[in-house]
Amino acid sequence: MKELLKELCLIDGISGDEGAVRDYIISRVKDYCQYSVDDLGNLICFRKGRKSPKKKLMICAHMDEVGFMVTYIRSDGTLRFDCVGGIDPSVIIGRRVRVGKDRISGVIGSTAVHNLSREQREKAPSVDSLYIDIGAASKEEAEKHVFLGDCVYYDSEFTDLGEHCVKSKAIDDRAGCAIMIKLMQEKPDYDTYFVFNVQEEIGLRGSAVSSFSVAPDFAIVLEATTAADIDGVTGEKRVCELGRGPVVSFMDRRTIYDKELYKLAFDLATCQTKTMIAGGNDAGAIHISGKGVRTISVSVPCRYLHSPSSVIDMSDLISSYKLVKNLSKRIPLL
Amino acid sequence: MDLKNTIIQLAEAAGASGSEDDAAELALAMLREYCPDAAVSGGNVIGSLGVHREGRPKLVLDAHIDQVGFAVTAITDEGFIKVGNIGGLDRRLLPAQPVVIHGKSDIKGVICSVPPHLTSGSAPVPEISDIAIDTGMSKNELEQTVSLGDSITFDAACRDLLGSRITGGALDDRCGVACLLYTLELLKGQETAYNVTVIFSVQEEVGERGAKTGAFTIDPDIALAVDVSFAYAIGEDESKCGYLGGGPMIGVSPSLSREISDSLMAAAEAAEIPYQTEVMCGLTSTNADRYAVSRGGAKACTVSIPLRNMHTPVEVIDLTDVELTAKLLAEFIKEG
Repeated sequence: MKELLKELCLIDGISGDEGAVRDYIISRVKDYCQYSVDDLGNLICFRKGRKSPKKKLMICAHMDEVGFMVTYIRSDGTLRFDCVGGIDPSVIIGRRVRVGKDRISGVIGSTAVHNLSREQREKAPSVDSLYIDIGAASKEEAEKHVFLGDCVYYDSEFTDLGEHCVKSKAIDDRAGCAIMIKLMQEKPDYDTYFVFNVQEEIGLRGSAVSSFSVAPDFAIVLEATTAADIDGVTGEKRVCELGRGPVVSFMDRRTIYDKELYKLAFDLATCQTKTMIAGGNDAGAIHISGKGVRTISVSVPCRYLHSPSSVIDMSDLISSYKLVKNLSKRIPLL
Repeated sequence: MDLKNTIIQLAEAAGASGSEDDAAELALAMLREYCPDAAVSGGNVIGSLGVHREGRPKLVLDAHIDQVGFAVTAITDEGFIKVGNIGGLDRRLLPAQPVVIHGKSDIKGVICSVPPHLTSGSAPVPEISDIAIDTGMSKNELEQTVSLGDSITFDAACRDLLGSRITGGALDDRCGVACLLYTLELLKGQETAYNVTVIFSVQEEVGERGAKTGAFTIDPDIALAVDVSFAYAIGEDESKCGYLGGGPMIGVSPSLSREISDSLMAAAEAAEIPYQTEVMCGLTSTNADRYAVSRGGAKACTVSIPLRNMHTPVEVIDLTDVELTAKLLAEFIKEG
C-alpha cells in the first residue's frame, strides 16, 4: 500500500491537469473493470462484483492536487503565479517547485530576512508579493522555457517519518485513489462504480458531473482531511488525530451526512469524527446530485494538508481501506 | 576540480553553527588536496598554501563553514521536538518546512503548521518558541536517537536552475568555501606574493566567533572574507544589492582597508574581471570585522558572492560569480 501511495503522490497533477494521474490509475485497474473518461476528465470505472444489488453504490476520490499556474512573466525573468486550490502562502515561501511540461526547477523566494522591517518579519506575505525564480536573467530567457498557463507543482520527496508515518505532497487525495485501486484489484461482493474525479480543489467540479452520469443511490467519498493534533493545539481544536483510525464526519461546510451511514461506520470499525465543522469535499456536490444521493465520507487524517509536506499515519490508511471494504459489503443491502 | 559538484557536495553537508563537523570534515578532505598540512584547529579548518617564506606578508582567505539552523531544546510528551534558533531565521517560511535532525543518526521531520481553520484570516508568523517538529515518532523512540542540543538543518537538496544558476540551502557560505578551493586550483604552480593561509571558520552565523579565534591563531597582515551578500530580487532595495552574474562584490567600508579594496578593483580591471562595489557604512557583519581588529590589526576586505533568499532552503547563486570571484582572488594573490 505504501509503494502504491508513493507512486501516486509523486505523479504531478494539479486541478485541470490530471491526465498523468489518470493514465497511471488506468494502467493499474484496466484489467479489473470497464472504464470511460468523460468530457471533464473524470475516470468512471464499473467493477463487476459477485452479485448485482438493486441499489447502486459509487466509491470516489479525487485525482487532482493543489498547485499553481504561471500568470505572467516579468521583465526580470521571474514568474508571477496564482494558486490552484486553497494554499496558505506560509507553506510555499522558501520552497522548490517544478514548472511546465519540462518540469524546470524554480524556487519561491523571499526578501532576505536581514532586509525586512520589524513589521514585515511578523506578517506572512501575500501570494501577490511572491514570485517564482527559475534562474532566468531576462524575460526573453524565461520565455524559451515557460508559457503562460503552465502548471507549477511542488518539488517534494516522499519520505518515511518514523516507523509508521509518511510525508509527501498530494496525499490529498492520492490516499483515496490508493484505497480505491486496492479495492478494485479484489473482487467486490457487489457491483460497484469507482470514480476518480477531477477538479475537486477548485470547487468540487468533477464530482458534480460524474455523480450525475453514474446516478448512484449511495456514495462513499474517500478523502484526506485536516488533522491539527500538533504541539500547542488541544481539545476540540485538534479536529481529528493521526493514528486513531478513519475520520467519518457528521457534518462539514458543504454536507450534512446521511445519519444511518454515519452510524453504520461506527458500528463496523473504530472511527473518529471531526470535532470542528470545517472544510468540505466532493460529498458537497454528490449528495445533492440528481434526486439526491445518500453519502458518507471516509477520510484519512492528514497533518499540513495542502502543503508540500503533508503527513499521514499509514495505519489510518489501512484502517480506512478496511472500513470502506466493509461498508461496501453492507451499504447495498440497506 | 568540478566547481558545481564541489559546491553541491558542500551545500548538502550538515553544519549548523557549533555542529559543523560533517561539513568541516568534507571541506578538510577537499582542502588537503592543496594544503597538505590542513588540520582542524579550535573547530576551524586551517591550511597553508605551499611553503611560507620569510619577508612576504601573511594573507588569510576566509570562508565560513557553518550555516543557520536550530537546536533541540525539548522533546514533548507527545514526541514533538521544541527548538531554539541558531542564527537569523525567517520565521515566515517555517510552517510545513522539511528539516533533518542530526541525532546519533539523521532523522527527517516537518515543522508543524497550524491549519487555516484555527486562525481567523491570515495565520500569524510563529515565534521560535511556538515552533515544534513532527517526526512521526514518540518521545520514547526519539530519545534513543535525539539528545537536547542536537542540531537541526533544513532538508534542502540542490537543484539546477536555468543557465548557470543553482539553488540549495547553506550556499551561504559553502559556495565561498568552494570558491576558495577553486582559487587554490587556479594558483596551482603559480608563485604568490603572500604567505597564504586558508581558513574555513566556524560559528560565523552566531557572531563571527570562529573567525575571532582563527584570526588570533593565524595573525594575518591581510584578510579577505569571502562570504555571500544580497543579490537583487523583487522585494529587495536595488541600491543595497549586487546582481546575480555581475561578478564579485568588492567591499568598501570605513571598517575595511581602502587600500585593499582599491587593489582588488585594480586587479579586477587589469584582468578584465567584472566586479561590483558593495558600500557598507560601518561594520560589514562578516568575518572581516573580526580580522580587522585582531591582535595588532589587519588590513581586511570583503569579497562577496551575490546570493538571493539568504538563510532560506532556496538560496540562489550564479556559478559564474563563484568562478569570477576565484579568478579575482587568484589574480590578487599571484606574484607580479
